[in-house]
Amino acid sequence: MSKSFFVDTTLCTACRGCQVACKQWHDLPAEKTENRGTYQNPADLSFDTYKLVRMREEVIGGQLRWLFFPDQCRHCLEAPCLETAGDPAAIYYDEPSGAVIYTAATKNLDAAEIIESCPYNIPRKAADGTLAKCDMCYDRVAAGMQPACVKTCPTGAMNFGERAEMLDLAQKRLAVIKRTHREAMLLDPDDIRVVFMVAYKPGLYHDHAVASNTGSGISRQVALRRMLRPLKNLVSQLA
Amino acid sequence: MRINRREFIQISGAAAAGLALSSCAGKGGMFSPARDQAKMLQIQDAKETTTICPYCAVGCGAIVHTAKTGDKRAINIEGDPGHVINRGTLCSKGAALRQLSENSERITQPLYRAPYAKEWKKVSWDWALTEIAKRVKTTRDATFEARNAKGQVVNRTMGIASVGSAALDNEECWTYQALMRAIGVVYIEHQARI
Amino acid sequence: MTNHWIDIKNSDCILIMGSNAAENHPISFKYVSEAQQNGAKLISVDPRFTRTSARADFYAPMRSGTDIAILGGMIKYIIDNKLYNKEYIAAYTNAPFIVGTDYSFEDGLFAGYNQQGKKYDKRKWAFEMDANGVPKMDRSLAHPRCVFQILKKHFSRYNVALVSQISGTPQADLKKIYQTYAATGARGRAGTIMYAMGWTQHTVGTQNIRTMAIIQLLLGNMGVAGGGVNALRGESNVQGSTDHCLLWHIWPGYLKTPRASNFSLAAYNQKWTPKSNDPISANWWQNYPKYSISLLKSFFGDNAVPKNDYGYDWLPKVDDGKHYSWLDLFDEMYRGTFAGFFAWGQNPACSGAHAGKTRAAMKNLDWMVNVNIFDNETGSFWRGPGVDPAQIKTEVFFLPAAVSFEKEGSITNSGRWMQWRYQGPKPLGKSLPDGQIIMELGNKIKAQYKDGGTFPEPIRNLKWDYLTKGEYDPHAVAKEINGYFLKDVTIKGTVYKKGTLVPSFGSLQADGSTSSGNWLYCNSYTEKGNMAARRSTKDAPNNIGLYPEFSWCWPVNRRIIYNRASVDLQGQPWDKAQWVIKWDGAKWSGGDVPDGGWPPLGSLENPNPKSKHAFIMRKHGHGQIFGPGRADGPLPEHYEPMECPVERNFMSSTYTNPTAAVYGSKADVYKTCDPRYPFVGTTYRVVEHWQTGVMTRHQPWLMEMQPQVFVEMSEELAALKGIKNGERVLATSARGQLECTAIVTKRLRPLKVAGKLGTEVHQVGFPWCYGWQTPAGGKEESANLLTPSTGDPNTRIPETKAFMVNIQKI
Repeated sequence: MSKSFFVDTTLCTACRGCQVACKQWHDLPAEKTENRGTYQNPADLSFDTYKLVRMREEVIGGQLRWLFFPDQCRHCLEAPCLETAGDPAAIYYDEPSGAVIYTAATKNLDAAEIIESCPYNIPRKAADGTLAKCDMCYDRVAAGMQPACVKTCPTGAMNFGERAEMLDLAQKRLAVIKRTHREAMLLDPDDIRVVFMVAYKPGLYHDHAVASNTGSGISRQVALRRMLRPLKNLVSQLA
Repeated sequence: MRINRREFIQISGAAAAGLALSSCAGKGGMFSPARDQAKMLQIQDAKETTTICPYCAVGCGAIVHTAKTGDKRAINIEGDPGHVINRGTLCSKGAALRQLSENSERITQPLYRAPYAKEWKKVSWDWALTEIAKRVKTTRDATFEARNAKGQVVNRTMGIASVGSAALDNEECWTYQALMRAIGVVYIEHQARI
Repeated sequence: MTNHWIDIKNSDCILIMGSNAAENHPISFKYVSEAQQNGAKLISVDPRFTRTSARADFYAPMRSGTDIAILGGMIKYIIDNKLYNKEYIAAYTNAPFIVGTDYSFEDGLFAGYNQQGKKYDKRKWAFEMDANGVPKMDRSLAHPRCVFQILKKHFSRYNVALVSQISGTPQADLKKIYQTYAATGARGRAGTIMYAMGWTQHTVGTQNIRTMAIIQLLLGNMGVAGGGVNALRGESNVQGSTDHCLLWHIWPGYLKTPRASNFSLAAYNQKWTPKSNDPISANWWQNYPKYSISLLKSFFGDNAVPKNDYGYDWLPKVDDGKHYSWLDLFDEMYRGTFAGFFAWGQNPACSGAHAGKTRAAMKNLDWMVNVNIFDNETGSFWRGPGVDPAQIKTEVFFLPAAVSFEKEGSITNSGRWMQWRYQGPKPLGKSLPDGQIIMELGNKIKAQYKDGGTFPEPIRNLKWDYLTKGEYDPHAVAKEINGYFLKDVTIKGTVYKKGTLVPSFGSLQADGSTSSGNWLYCNSYTEKGNMAARRSTKDAPNNIGLYPEFSWCWPVNRRIIYNRASVDLQGQPWDKAQWVIKWDGAKWSGGDVPDGGWPPLGSLENPNPKSKHAFIMRKHGHGQIFGPGRADGPLPEHYEPMECPVERNFMSSTYTNPTAAVYGSKADVYKTCDPRYPFVGTTYRVVEHWQTGVMTRHQPWLMEMQPQVFVEMSEELAALKGIKNGERVLATSARGQLECTAIVTKRLRPLKVAGKLGTEVHQVGFPWCYGWQTPAGGKEESANLLTPSTGDPNTRIPETKAFMVNIQKI
């Protein structure tokens, strides 16, 4: 029953229904913002903003493109944040959805380390050190509902379902878009549960559209090592 | 033809299942989420009604969850999956609908501003409507034209104008225009003109 | 909309011009996207690259106010390349009609122009009639004075080079638009237009839409699935409120407000009931007296009787030839005509053109009633920027209204679907549903006239029984709008009992035996129940997304109007796959409610005498390529906006619309081609706010996304003025100024246009969703402080989409 998202950016109109539906379901407060010369607001994800439509204007092949990227946690299959935390009371996988869930106990973690471990620069901390991010609306998902952002999306940009079905849909849409956009690609589809499709180079949409290992210093080997840590902890606890 | 409540179970039925999840996810408090997640529990006990979004004229359906206890206010609003136009989807304004009704900046009592006054003062409905009715009569009677300059029967008041409103329901529109026309107002306009 | 939202999915080519559907009608993109995924092309033509443009297959820029030039070029392209559906236009449009010899068009002026009155004598545009009083026609379209030939000649001037010079749209872009869209003239193909205020808010607004309607008729796109002329209405119930005619010139159901010269009910009905001598023209408005008398019975109930002309004289009359529309209303208010003013769910201090004039006008009022959910810039005008409350005499009553889901009732969407909605929470605090306020106010006014007063009859006799146990009852009103049999009536052998609901407007009578508050809505609430509350998700057998038992739509649940034009003369659909109606030899079955059940025409030479022409609402039964009823000409013509950056009209020496509405108070200033205001300004909305923002500026989640008023400008203009992205700047026009945040963007770019102010025209745009009161601080003001109070001569909608401004650093 493992779940995934497929985010088809070629259908996104940046209506930002997802951004608000997320706040509505989670009762997240609004941030105090100002217009910085762009529609994109808030400027970034935060403890109060789990979902953010990023917007960039790029001239690609002589044509102006307004690129929309509805950013959120990717719910990694092997989540570096979870591995780094090593504390299932703070960060754990929700079964059976596969969502990576942050709890109130994230307050006890080294927030900077967790944030740095994320290849997509997602987690954000509150003043008291508690971390938050997209929780896949796992309460809704367990109830057979779609995440709030997916349900509200009018165009089919946001999709959610069984992982196999989503990957299948992603491949089908990719094949269609490839006909007109040679650079179209799925972003890190094998590693994450929130698979974006972009029509142009991913870096044009967002600096962290694809996994970045350079910033965090987390390689798969390191991640694996860290993954052993919670097991060790658990063993010691049991003993 | 009242709405069939079974049509709304998409959400409340799901909510019951969600309840089971929430209780097991709790795991003795150790796994309490970073933020309170009571929404699923709340909507399970809520009244569900359908509405149509009050913004643009696409006419999207939404479901309103209203608490049956406490302050009995709206606690969740999301797209109506049984609506054939929007199929459960909503834009940012539609998704934010709850902040329209649940808003501390709403005015909840009639207000009156006297000539040259610097402030509003709170007044009762009865007083406000009676005073407005008096002014309608005074102005109407003083400016009533039975005939125009050509001597044609016109039976109208030129002293009152009214604008409104695409924000009214159809039935309200009809009664509103009937009242204004009975008063004799000819300057009747609304958003369709702008 | 002639069609409806879901139907957009059936289109093969979608032109979004004069609207920005992705931002202002976001859920429409569910169907735009679906059409695109099925192979449809989406074309976006806009002064500014928008979120709609971001999803378009093709985007082209244009100078605001030059739509007729661009679309006129398309008409020429369609005719030159014979891409029109000849069978369709010969049968269903007035292309074959012969225009009289008085008609002429010369140098931007049509025959009959009166310089002094700034008006046309429309009789000069009349059709030639045969001995029976039926328009003469040449179905071969060859007669030199037939509409088709006149059209061809008229638009022959709109060549691509000239259109490009006027609009600034590159020639290659124009050709691509024309080629892509005109391809829908092929049988079985459908093209649709999605437009909104980007077309209406011009001094040529009506003719913008006429130009596109002509294109749709030429291509055979009217009446078909995926086609039509689709006005994307901007408010949830602006369709319903227009149907119920909260407008000076019309009564519910688009009946006419009586003119002073309509001295009796008989004279009124005589004047407004069109007559056709063509036996196969349905001329639906011939039923006018049934609708007007049923309406009077709804107004005055048992008090309306033949002896008193059903209360006809109790209702106000307007002077012949005078306008009482929005701009005129505020012009009169500015001149001090009114003592009292109601603003009901409206915020004219921010929403109307030339907000400065509107706000100044309010100071002349003795009393104002402002009904809203939140306080707004209108109700608080006495404490607005630069206003000293101690100088303002106006009494203001603020009446707090419930929000839409705190009450019950129906609204009508842009696709004409009437949808019922229910009460969730009760009205907050002491706020009340508007219906309750209206009913109670009506009772208070009736009480004032109980014992006298001037001409109390209409107030005393007004039928006002829509309170049930003291509470406003929307069902009671909805039934009155539908209408009742007021006595036992026998129609075609069926007896309808007194007190039962009328099944549809075909049963309304002109003898006082029926009531109907709005004939168009007759069939919406019948003995079968509240049709607007229906929720069946089952599609009709033709499976094109009509959903005939979901809600209800006017007229008589017909989802695509003019659908008799979706078939050929034998009643067989142009589009075999996505058909709307189909004749099976005996009846229309399996699809939409046809525009009348008569059989198909069969042939043009010997039409079936039982048939009717396709466009049943037109007197002569034909779609109007030539429209002799318009104030500014029977065919569209490009004129410059009242404020523009070019010193002349390159199409003719008639510079601006010669019949445009202009006003003469000292506040009404226009500065065209003035170096002090060198940039084209336009206004629009954003998805995150709504209208003047009264409902959205108080909502933190929406303010978070769009916190401040802004001006969008090109990188080139920003460089020219030394403006950096995100800086606060000052915009000025001849009428006012606006401080705003600069968004410097690639989405606007200078256009090459020949003109006095230089060969490059810069355009800037402002959202009009703000006002001084919220957010706090008073810095985020209305863009309508800049816009001009001039308007279209037909609708008098103001020209807020094209005006001249300057931008400078603060």
